Amino acid sequence: MIPTIAGAEKFAYRPGSRADLLKKIPAGLKLHSVGRAQVAKLDPLTYEVIRHRLWAITEEMGEAIKRMSGSVVVTDCNDFDCAVMDELGDEVQVGLYNAQLCASMDMAVKWTLENRAANPGIAEGDMFLCNDPWVGGGLHQNDASLFAPFFWEGELLGWTCAVAHQVDVGGVSPGSWTPRSENVFWESLPTPPIKLVEKFQIRADIEDAFLRRSRMPKLLALDLRAMMGANNIAQERLTVLIRKYGADVVKAVMYRAMDDAEERLRAKLRALPDGTWHAVSYQDQAKSGDRGLHKVVLAMTKQHDRLIFDFRGTDPQVIGMINCTYAGMRAGVLAIVMMWLCGDIPWAPGGIERCLEFISEDGTLNNCTFPSGISKASVGSTWATHNVAIECIAAMLDMHPTHRENAMSVCIGTWDLILLSGVDQHDNGFVTMLCDPMAGGLGARADQDGVDTGGGPCIPMGRAADVEMNEFQFPILYLWRREEIDSGGPGRFRGGLGASSCFMIHDSSTRQMGLVVSSSGKAVPLACGTSGGYPANTSYDVAVRNSNVRKLLGGRRWPRELSDLGGEFEYLPPECDTQLGWDDVYYTNWQGGGGYGDPILREPERVAWDVAERKVSREAARAVYGVALDDRGQVIMSETQQLRRELRMRRAGRSGASPRVAEVSQSGWSRIDDNVALDADGRSRCAHCGTILAEGGRNYLDGALVRRGAPSEAGPQIRGEPDRFVDQRVTFRQFCCPGCYAALLTEIVPADETQYRTKTIAPRDAASVTRG
Amino acid sequence: MQFILGIDIGGTFTDAFATDDQARVVSAKSPSTPDNYARGVIDAIDELASRLKLSTEALLQSTSYICHGTTASLNSLVTGTAAKVGFITTCGHGDSIVIMNGEGRYAGLGPEQIQDFTRTNKPPPLVRKRLVKEVDERVDYKGAEILPLNETVAREAIKELIDEDVAAIAVSLLWSFRNPAHENRIRELIHEVAPELYVSLSSEVCPRIREYPRSVTTIMNGQVGPALRAYLRSLQDELERRRFGGVLLVMQGSGGTISADTAPRQAISTIGSVLVGGVVGSVNLGESLGHKNIISTDMGGTTFLVGLVVDGKPVTATTTVINQYTLNLPMVRVAAIGSGGGAIAWIDQGGNLKVGPRSAGAAPGPACYAAGGHDPTITDADVVLGILNPDFFLGGRKHLRRDLSEQAIREKIAEPLKMSVEQAAATIYSIANAQASDLVRKCVVSAGYDPRDFALYSFGGAGPVHCAGYAADLGVGTVVVPLGETASAFSAFGLAASNVGLTAEVSRPQNFPVPAEVVNHTFEELEARLRSDLEAQRIPFSRVTMAREIDIRYTLQLAEVSTPVKSGKLSEDDIHGISDSFEELYTKLYGKGTGYREAGLQFITYRVFAVGYLPFKPSLPVLPKARAGVESAIKGRRRAFLDLASGWIETTVYDYEKLAFGHEIEGPAIVEAPTTTVAVTPRAMARIDQLGNLVLHFK
Repeated sequence: MIPTIAGAEKFAYRPGSRADLLKKIPAGLKLHSVGRAQVAKLDPLTYEVIRHRLWAITEEMGEAIKRMSGSVVVTDCNDFDCAVMDELGDEVQVGLYNAQLCASMDMAVKWTLENRAANPGIAEGDMFLCNDPWVGGGLHQNDASLFAPFFWEGELLGWTCAVAHQVDVGGVSPGSWTPRSENVFWESLPTPPIKLVEKFQIRADIEDAFLRRSRMPKLLALDLRAMMGANNIAQERLTVLIRKYGADVVKAVMYRAMDDAEERLRAKLRALPDGTWHAVSYQDQAKSGDRGLHKVVLAMTKQHDRLIFDFRGTDPQVIGMINCTYAGMRAGVLAIVMMWLCGDIPWAPGGIERCLEFISEDGTLNNCTFPSGISKASVGSTWATHNVAIECIAAMLDMHPTHRENAMSVCIGTWDLILLSGVDQHDNGFVTMLCDPMAGGLGARADQDGVDTGGGPCIPMGRAADVEMNEFQFPILYLWRREEIDSGGPGRFRGGLGASSCFMIHDSSTRQMGLVVSSSGKAVPLACGTSGGYPANTSYDVAVRNSNVRKLLGGRRWPRELSDLGGEFEYLPPECDTQLGWDDVYYTNWQGGGGYGDPILREPERVAWDVAERKVSREAARAVYGVALDDRGQVIMSETQQLRRELRMRRAGRSGASPRVAEVSQSGWSRIDDNVALDADGRSRCAHCGTILAEGGRNYLDGALVRRGAPSEAGPQIRGEPDRFVDQRVTFRQFCCPGCYAALLTEIVPADETQYRTKTIAPRDAASVTRG
Repeated sequence: MQFILGIDIGGTFTDAFATDDQARVVSAKSPSTPDNYARGVIDAIDELASRLKLSTEALLQSTSYICHGTTASLNSLVTGTAAKVGFITTCGHGDSIVIMNGEGRYAGLGPEQIQDFTRTNKPPPLVRKRLVKEVDERVDYKGAEILPLNETVAREAIKELIDEDVAAIAVSLLWSFRNPAHENRIRELIHEVAPELYVSLSSEVCPRIREYPRSVTTIMNGQVGPALRAYLRSLQDELERRRFGGVLLVMQGSGGTISADTAPRQAISTIGSVLVGGVVGSVNLGESLGHKNIISTDMGGTTFLVGLVVDGKPVTATTTVINQYTLNLPMVRVAAIGSGGGAIAWIDQGGNLKVGPRSAGAAPGPACYAAGGHDPTITDADVVLGILNPDFFLGGRKHLRRDLSEQAIREKIAEPLKMSVEQAAATIYSIANAQASDLVRKCVVSAGYDPRDFALYSFGGAGPVHCAGYAADLGVGTVVVPLGETASAFSAFGLAASNVGLTAEVSRPQNFPVPAEVVNHTFEELEARLRSDLEAQRIPFSRVTMAREIDIRYTLQLAEVSTPVKSGKLSEDDIHGISDSFEELYTKLYGKGTGYREAGLQFITYRVFAVGYLPFKPSLPVLPKARAGVESAIKGRRRAFLDLASGWIETTVYDYEKLAFGHEIEGPAIVEAPTTTVAVTPRAMARIDQLGNLVLHFK
């Protein structure tokens, strides 16, 4: 049970309307603003020139942070962001970095306007520091933000903001992610907005108060300066811009940029069908020792030109570190809306968010109350929120003849945290988060495969460090870093592969190091497929204890597999805090992307290429894709047809009827996804064989054949046994067409789960979309 | 009489430039011959000779140097026609080149493409899996051998690759720059069975930390090496047959040249030579004009390129991206956006006018080419605005259809936005200028400089049309449009005047303070290597200079700043001086108060640039002073739009051919030259200098 704390409500921020906010700002703070007329009279030239300049400013801020920051997470993984905002903290332009963070920066600024304007005041030359995710400005305590008001002739014209992930901000575990966390008091202390910079100078007392909590205070200090530098650069550039065009014109462009983004997203939404899509995402374990499965569920409704995200039904907040605050839930959605729906729309979240509505109950996993543990929020419940948002948005896009090209399945189902600490080869203490999982697999798309080791769902430009840089900085020696064969979710289009790293301690005088591992997706894989596509791999972490690796090094052969290492395997649970000894080897395999469509419909030639490039094993080619290859890797067509027929029959189970092969006329039908269409009467039909799946207005899965099996039925990517980590039984579940047995929905879920993944589409809407 | 030739082999044309010790200059142009570029080179030399009224043999006999730049290597990489290469690497790390650190999905893309996340992809694999071989061996970060090279496995891998008929083998092992023994041994094993096979070793090609870009660089070196070796052999044979006894030089991406004999070993260094031609040309022209700080801008058909010259030297970067692959290669830093003359103007879904990055290219080209292009481009706007003369485009060699420009702009831009065609054209023109201006500012500022300290050079077909527009905002004092003898072959001119430049580098990551003996020893090693490499060029240099730098960073930061280091033996005090210079540079780049020395420093990579100066340098002929008044060059008048402040005004048009040294023109004016058109905006003054260049100043 998580206690309630009187006084915490001040920080439980919910951004309201601009009008409401204005009422809460003291009159003493003069705000710069312009009227609608000023916005209307902007000419296209001025608008485009200034908007382009504002974008260039966020790029410059980003470059500055990357070059100045001292944390690998920032410089390599781009886990940071920056923004230019208007006077009320609405974001006009954000950088192309961690899109999660942009949904929290505006909240922190708005809270500051409400709570700091009177005392201690907001003045030129100030910058506020915040790492309190209930307020905003980040999703967990590691996200420290620094935001600066920008004044012009005595009026508050706007804000600039930089936020970056810090390696260590205190708490009981190195790196501040705390598998032992019961609640936030076990973690880093959240800091609501404090004035770190005053009259353009860092206040030493405030800085010390913040640095004191960290195991890496020097690094933290360096990053504070990086963010300060980025704000300085932005403000210099804004000054030049305003000198040339005038404050009113620049402000008018800011307003219009947000209006423009809003209007374009609304236009895109209007072109898409109305309907409701449902999705679910599980996290196994909330802390060390927990054996639960914790779900976030979403019903996303698209109505005309708005999207409503309804999270009711999500599990209550838990004791542990996986919860996220309201900011984390909002960020989980907004980031995916930007990445999936706004590829061609300016990243002006201040406009984009006007198209979104949220329904959520306080005290739930992704809208937790103080003092719930949130140190893993960004990749805990926020990431789970990403997953359900992606499922729903991809399914919605999949219905549209052109927008379906943006329908990408769930990417790397969660971040696989690897935190190392100890004494490095120079005899200095160190703590670091290894960013190798930045090369996660991206989901398959409706028209092509997912990108192998291509990144993550919320950071357009993620990056993993070179092995050599990791070995230079930290006392480790890699046995390998490689793409993991078969880890991409199988499908007509295959999900991108995840990868693995395997290493041991090297050259550390203490001969051991601390290891915090945190990754859900071990019992239930999190990167599920779209349109019948299969889920990607489970994440998989093994500590090989007392291995013979040091003996192997003196010999002739380098170990290639875990089985070469002898020793005992310890399968690390989703949340764990352990030590790595001198003879131990650590292996981590993070997730790939979900598949798209039924794998037995994949072009055999693509499977042959995958086998040649070691993306798919020969075994999986046969067992999952039903493709037979000869010794030279060429497709054997007749045997392939035979294999695929057998796979269909296996799905048919005891019903045993031969698969139907009907060439049906689809005139007047409208597409739902790769397998399902609505006919002219509004009935759901199999797009491959024409079998009627459900009457109009009914769930299209109603008439499907349901088959269950062990999780490994989904393919060799499902490694490990769920009962090692959770109490609930986990099962493979597939909904197939009763005629041709094509896979309509393929999932791995708790055995007793009700069915969450459905879609309800207004038939009239579907038809008009496809024909239009 | 001694000649120097510069030859620039472009995708379409091969440009040639010749100069002698009497300051005589001629240029020539002939079609490129992609099946064997050597033929196009000889054709261009034939034409130079005929312009000089000499036989080709007579010209070549008295030619001391031929320096040439070629796109051939780069093209083969980009179009995927490169040689079949086998790759040998450390066991467990063969996937490094497909994982690409995850960054391969977006590296080198523009922000618009990066933002369109769900459509991004990695490029096709550099090397197919069956050609990637992992061998059992391991070296650690100190260079200590952890596992000896398993020669049985290595021999088997080599045999399999040779059976696959590879044209080259690239070898890149972890930490080979700390200890190259295993790479060297693998080369010996290869040469035991295939003595002639091209072998590319990462410890030689780029001995720098970070295995992914090092492996990519080594592989690409193997992909272009065999072809470059064959091509240069054939060219040398052709030239020698025509009695050429001088030295054949090849331009490198770093802005210096290298002899054809030694180029194939470092083949990868020759890519990008075509991009740097303009920057090198600016350096050389700058020497004649007394400009030490230059922003070099080249606006062609599809791209707008920006390079920087500071203190007479091109600004270089230590990495570059080709086809989304990152390379560790010191190269002249050139930034590009898709804002060339062919960039398409369009309206986004929000009803906003955009220009580029999509381009109509050379085919179908702008609407006014009447070659099937229906999208309005920057060039179409230039035509509608009266800046470009449809009857005198490229000196009248190509006729433009103004009506088609108008139609394209009307249908695609003006009508949807409810503007007049002229308004729409003016808006396209101004947005193009503003984007160019943003890119230039970003390049200059991000390199730590202030645009006001620079002269801006503008060339390429479309550059001079827009330079007054994009330069005015930047606050640069002077804009130079190279015209006169060098105009048509500006890059070839740059090549002709280039010295030999070689780079040597090695990573030796270590925490500060690094003992002076380590630094001295490292630099001495690099300089000794360069001295022997310079000797291998077999050229009698007039003098040789060496410049040192170290890539330094604050501990735990990944970004490094290349910090210049003085030459000679360094004391412990000097080492501290280096860290001071680093901090000064850091502050200059990122602002006051952003450095944090207490976090500690690390010296990562040591680098030395050597320049071998060629004994004689071409000088450009000085023109006689104008005798007639500037009015004699007036060709006519027309209504034109040159900038937003003045709008449409009656504008005087000058014929460049009739202008002479000393002539001054007050804006608004248009100068039509055979290769380009210059817009002299209302607040600008133009002057023809002693070399025939047009120099703009703003009031």
